[in-house]
Amino acid sequence: MKKLGILAGVAGLAITAMLLAPGARSADDAKLEQLKQQGFARVAIANEPPYTAVAADGKVSGAAPDVAREIFKRLGVNDIVASISEYGAMIPGLQAGRFDVVTAGLFMKPERCAAVAYSEPVLCDAEAMLVKKGNPKGFKSYEDIAKDSSATVGAPGGGTEEKLALNAGVPRDRVIVVPDGQSGLKMVQDGRIDAYSLPVLSINDLVKKANDPNLEVIAPVQGAPVYCDGAAFKKGDEALRDAYDVELAKMKKSGEFAKIIEPYGFSAKAAMSTTREKLCAAK
Amino acid sequence: MEWDWNFVWEIMPTLIQGVKITILATVLGSILAAIVGLGIALARRSENRIVARSVGWFAEFIRGTPLLVQLYFIFYVLPDIGILLPPLVAGVIGLGLHYGTYTAEVYRAGIDNVPRGQWEAAKACNLGGRHTWTHIILPQAIPPMIPALANYFIAMFKETPLLSAITVLELMNQAKSVANTYYRYIEPMTLVGAFFLVISLCSVVLLRWLEHRYGRIER
Repeated sequence: MKKLGILAGVAGLAITAMLLAPGARSADDAKLEQLKQQGFARVAIANEPPYTAVAADGKVSGAAPDVAREIFKRLGVNDIVASISEYGAMIPGLQAGRFDVVTAGLFMKPERCAAVAYSEPVLCDAEAMLVKKGNPKGFKSYEDIAKDSSATVGAPGGGTEEKLALNAGVPRDRVIVVPDGQSGLKMVQDGRIDAYSLPVLSINDLVKKANDPNLEVIAPVQGAPVYCDGAAFKKGDEALRDAYDVELAKMKKSGEFAKIIEPYGFSAKAAMSTTREKLCAAK
Repeated sequence: MEWDWNFVWEIMPTLIQGVKITILATVLGSILAAIVGLGIALARRSENRIVARSVGWFAEFIRGTPLLVQLYFIFYVLPDIGILLPPLVAGVIGLGLHYGTYTAEVYRAGIDNVPRGQWEAAKACNLGGRHTWTHIILPQAIPPMIPALANYFIAMFKETPLLSAITVLELMNQAKSVANTYYRYIEPMTLVGAFFLVISLCSVVLLRWLEHRYGRIER
């Protein structure tokens, strides 16, 4: 069955590619038209508040989808429909045409910029680590975890934190792939992992909800840069991306952008003080 | 989307690490399932009604709930009462217990199929309970079970990807982490399928041989 699925997927892709192939430009404009006609855009989210959140009643919120919803409305697309995905599966899913755009706090990094077409920056955040109270192993940076040969760190699979930890020299078997925030929190509480790493605002949100006095947040992690995400479009959908950027710029200027993201704790100034070009070139 | 052989060779060592864990989990899980299954089958035949009933109820409970739920329970809930198991151990216990309840039914069928006369003959020869089981009943009951047991072991092997949910870095998890890093699914997932197929086919051959070697009993 798996094989059949792959075959069917490949066949489907081939057909889509054939349909899209002639004249990439006209296909681009067609993309927005198509979204307008169907009345919604499909977005990928991660359910990691405050970036993206799904309420108990299924309503999608969080800073990234809220910005996307507003911009799509201005572009004439009435609503967004979100599907929850792992970070690592977002870009392949985008390339496979499962979503129209990723709005999930997928931070801009050169290798991701090479794989997708990012909008201008939307949400910026530094990295943090969740540890037991008193930080028993004295972590300040990912390098500290690499140095302690018994230390383990949890991170979302395919997330920025996983790569930062691996790049800092933590061996693969000590970087534990944690499926979601709640599991990561539990694993720190149970002592399965020594630290759980996520962006600052996500960790803060998690700790606030857990309300456990035996936990401590280390923020920001030393040596880890401040990253910004953007809405990620499929390569080839640049025209849609450009239209998105125009509306985003207008909202940043009018202050409506700040009005959406600042209640979630994000700084609009941080997103406005940098550009996609800078972030994609950064090491 | 094109198949890239260089990429295949690049990710092969990582996936082989995963294969090792997958095989380890299956072998340990199988051994546990074989033991647990026998234990359950024997306990259900116990003359002590309370033991028979409670073990029977326990087995039905495990058999009637999904393996994934049990794994989450063992991994995330048990630490709340102070039982903290490493991921692989938790996974092996989950697989072993779950499949143990299936194999228990196989054992039961095998034991029920030993002719009544054998029990009576054992009694007539004045053999004790332990001797009757170890020398008369089980040697006749187990060989015909081998094909059915083998079925469950192959099924268990193919369910090991569930262990990725409790952070065991087995084949599926390794493939996912490769896909997460390179944004490519076609090669890692195809290889996962291929690995499973090759190992399943090899074990089928091995189990056929086992069946041939030990499966025949003289009556």
